[in-house]
Amino acid sequence: MTARDLARVGAVIGVGESDYVGDHARVRAGEKPADSYGYAADAFRAALADAGIGRDEIDGLIVGPTLAYERTGEILGINPRWGGQADAMLAVIEACMAIRSGLAEVVALVYGNDQRSAAIQYGGPEAMGGNMFLSYVYHAPWGFTSQGALYAMMFRRFGELTGCTERDLGEVAVAQRHAASLNPHALMRKPITIEDYMAARYICEPLRLFDYCLINDGGVVLIIAEAERARKMARKAPVLIHGVGRSDLNRGATSLEPRLLEFYRPAQEACAAQVYAMAGVGPEDMSALQIYDSFSCHVPFALEGYGYCRPGDVGRFMREDGIGLGGRIPVNTGGGHLSESYMQGWAHQVEAVRQVRGECGARQVAARGAGDSRFVHYNSDVAGKAVSIIYGS
Amino acid sequence: MANSAAVLSMYDEPMWESIRAHDWHLQQCDDCSEWRYPPGPCCPKCLSPRSTWRPLSGRGEIASWVVFHRQYFDNWPPPYNVVAVKLAEGPLVISNLTGPEPEGSWIGRPVEVAYGTDAAGTLLPQMRLAE
Ligand SMILES: [Zn+2]
Repeated sequence: MTARDLARVGAVIGVGESDYVGDHARVRAGEKPADSYGYAADAFRAALADAGIGRDEIDGLIVGPTLAYERTGEILGINPRWGGQADAMLAVIEACMAIRSGLAEVVALVYGNDQRSAAIQYGGPEAMGGNMFLSYVYHAPWGFTSQGALYAMMFRRFGELTGCTERDLGEVAVAQRHAASLNPHALMRKPITIEDYMAARYICEPLRLFDYCLINDGGVVLIIAEAERARKMARKAPVLIHGVGRSDLNRGATSLEPRLLEFYRPAQEACAAQVYAMAGVGPEDMSALQIYDSFSCHVPFALEGYGYCRPGDVGRFMREDGIGLGGRIPVNTGGGHLSESYMQGWAHQVEAVRQVRGECGARQVAARGAGDSRFVHYNSDVAGKAVSIIYGS
Repeated sequence: MANSAAVLSMYDEPMWESIRAHDWHLQQCDDCSEWRYPPGPCCPKCLSPRSTWRPLSGRGEIASWVVFHRQYFDNWPPPYNVVAVKLAEGPLVISNLTGPEPEGSWIGRPVEVAYGTDAAGTLLPQMRLAE
């Protein structure tokens, strides 16, 4: 069985973000610029302007996990004929499904999160997500908490088995910080070296400070339209969604078996097979790779799991072939969760769209596809849910 | 901050009772003999609802380890280690290594259960290096 084709059914016509940099400065000064809905509204206005359409064109609404569906629609004044709630990657897939089925033609994907100013905790007694993922809270009696610790445990075994060292892992933080230094929307723009990385303190050894994402407030909106209509209505050339993929590993999730014993590899491989077949392109065609990076080690796992390097070779690949701008495959070209903004995968979609459009200025990646076409691959493996999206001209 | 707390679903209660008796039990499936962790209502392998609580051998080997340098709980002042242990019966569990620590890689080191406590005195199944 293969997935019924969602290739080139939907296209991104507009993207918008809140002012990460300005809002972060205000939050750090003790102000509260907005709540999750306010950030979402900022991003929504920006996305409508980017698309060059009016709000009344929108007939589908998907909101992120931190927003209530009805209240979001109320605040943004949207009465859609189809709607739902999803994380960043599934929101994109569900929008394509709705468009393919005819349930909607122009879908707004809306995210807002005041996690920094609201002091959301991702570890400890009030660990966020414990109601959704038992592994986030089940091992607390032994002091084992925070998603960072789960990834530290995973990277330790991976590194011991493959020879990928802590220093090799440092390539991720260094490359993404360099990309962020060229991104005016990024929060952490001061370049760092491998020596800076190695000198930073451990949080949960073997992961250090620079392996962890930042926590900030913000909002992101994407507008996805049926591909034919997108060409007629959008102000800019639409960015097509060429393929999507998904594969989940739930068995043994709380005891961490798929995480520690398989590094989620079977899910990534199944997801990769689906998305590459649907899009008709593979790793060699990609101009850039966006990876959900709550922690740096998502990157080496994905590079191996999605076929960007040989299994067991990722330490050398990152060190020698390169994952920064100008490297073999530029990864998280806006700075990612580590250095740009922690928008739980949403800002990665925006960066992918802007790279395909060629709007990224000093951090713009080169075309690799036929003619002047650019493909950008997004993937995530949050809690063993492997999801992939390929964007392209 | 606060102390860490166990998740106590109706299926977890018997496990913690056995731990308090220094005799860690888990469910074993009556139909396919699969050991279950965490405790739950049916066997994920064969879906049978029938199981029996049985004592573990207490033996296993380390699959991975970390060292916490940041504090998240009052009852866990850093630094402290956490290990993932593949039990002889099959399940992968999280614990702490107490006593002497191995030189070099900890992966593959044989361990056995050694009951210990967190900083607040709560009893836990922990591990120590075995011969
Ligand atoms: Zn069974």
